[in-house]
Amino acid sequence: MKLSDLALVIRGKNAGPRRLTLDVMFATDADYQRAVQSPGLAAANVARLYRVAPEAITVIPYPAGRAIKYVLARAIMAGDPGDFDVYGAQQHAPLLEIEL
Amino acid sequence: MSASGRVLADVRAKRRPMRFLGASGQLGYGIPTPAFNLGLSRNPDLIGCDMGSIDIGPTYLGKGEMATSPEATMRDLRKVLHGARSLDVPLVIGSAGSAGAAPHLDATLAMMRDIARQDGLRFRMASIRADMDRAALIAAARAGKITGLDDMPALTEADITQAAHIVGQMGMGSFRAALDADVDVIIAGRACDTSIFAALPAMLGFPVGLCVHMAKIIECASLCCVPGGRDAILATLDDDGFELESMNPTRRATPTSVAAHSLYEQADPFTVHEPDGALNLSGARYEAVDDRRARVSGATWTDTKDPTVKMEGAVKLGERAVLLAGAADPRFIAGVKDILAGLTSLVRELVCEDQPEDYTLRFRVYGVDGVRMVTPEHETPPGEVFIMGECIAPTRERASEVVRTCKQYLLHYGYPGRLATAGNLAFPFTPPEVSLGPAYRFNVYHLLHTPDPDALFPMTVESV
Repeated sequence: MKLSDLALVIRGKNAGPRRLTLDVMFATDADYQRAVQSPGLAAANVARLYRVAPEAITVIPYPAGRAIKYVLARAIMAGDPGDFDVYGAQQHAPLLEIEL
Repeated sequence: MSASGRVLADVRAKRRPMRFLGASGQLGYGIPTPAFNLGLSRNPDLIGCDMGSIDIGPTYLGKGEMATSPEATMRDLRKVLHGARSLDVPLVIGSAGSAGAAPHLDATLAMMRDIARQDGLRFRMASIRADMDRAALIAAARAGKITGLDDMPALTEADITQAAHIVGQMGMGSFRAALDADVDVIIAGRACDTSIFAALPAMLGFPVGLCVHMAKIIECASLCCVPGGRDAILATLDDDGFELESMNPTRRATPTSVAAHSLYEQADPFTVHEPDGALNLSGARYEAVDDRRARVSGATWTDTKDPTVKMEGAVKLGERAVLLAGAADPRFIAGVKDILAGLTSLVRELVCEDQPEDYTLRFRVYGVDGVRMVTPEHETPPGEVFIMGECIAPTRERASEVVRTCKQYLLHYGYPGRLATAGNLAFPFTPPEVSLGPAYRFNVYHLLHTPDPDALFPMTVESV
């Protein structure tokens, strides 16, 4: 099953101009539990999709919001020359195709 | 007595739950009237609005301009000012004018005075400045009192002197001073969004952790609801927790939706760092009151021994001009990377014949790799693409020269296998070159370690 078929929310946004934060949220506790245990959502796989080292990604499971958060450094600070997404709101796209 | 004095005296005389109306998370983009009016009918003790953010990028801070239109900003300010005056409660606005530096604050204050004059309103207004003193910053940098945020390089004296504007985010103490000055309206420069709402209950002795947690949620209006939105939200705070209710009946604050809001734009959903302490949400509890109201409790607060002020500054890079064009020829699209590299060299030869290469030129090919930080390999080529060329040069004229030259030579660029010899580009309009004005980047994103953050943010009070 694809993550985009299970998740309620898959989104990206800056957390300050130098960090990108990705949130994946689920409708039920069962869906959250399934996702949080899936290798597809482990740091190693998300790091592979974003072409960074696994240790460059922080994974924060957040059961109260039925959510998993990922935090990584932006390659280009928001608004610097060469930036392509000032808000970081479209960098969630690689997550959509994750297989659970 | 003015509104802040009246509310402080009222709650000090008889301890009771307090109500806070979060009217807007982005003042200047429209405040839905039905929800705002419903909020007024619930007799809030304070109306608060956040007006700014660092999300919008460095140019507004650098240029000293608002991100919002003057007309919409005036309409929103008028709405919240009339609402607050009709109830005689404090109106608190933080991060005035999108970025909260002197020109943003002054423009916001001028709008408030205009509204007062046009509508015959009289009130006492505090304004709090957020601009950092350059000489003091240089001294602090030399003393090792400035540290970069999120791996930002060390702050140099050149960064400090060259920045167009440097602001600091004021905290609760600055708002406390203004509330203590017996005012009706507080307009703050760059500020922690939480302080807008948290300062008043914190100074009345409500638990600081609850005050700041409540503030963190309602500064975004009804964004914490399902469906999230920009309608006003009401929070009712007591000594053990707070209750949230959107003023739009179709939006529901549920335990999960409110808990999830702690993720929004935060690197850490369990800890929020503020100038004078940290909010700890590890023990936060979220419960349903009914179908569309949630009750929140359990947040705690830890004072810091090392108070800090988060600073933001922007430096001018030059003048920006862009070229906007589309293409639909598969052979052009297949070779677009080589074509743009060739074009870049060709343009350099032309515009640098008698001048140095004093500009930067970049292209984005939308449909291929314009948006994503990582692009998958072997994607099927799109049927059409949009090309944006961006030049940053020392002058507006130079940037314009570069993109105009790009336009002409990309239009007629010869590449292997070309069939469409009359032109490579589709322009949605002409001129397809646009001068965007000065370009900036953030060159200050640092913490200033200072024993007394509040001293950095001077307040004045005026009778309007």
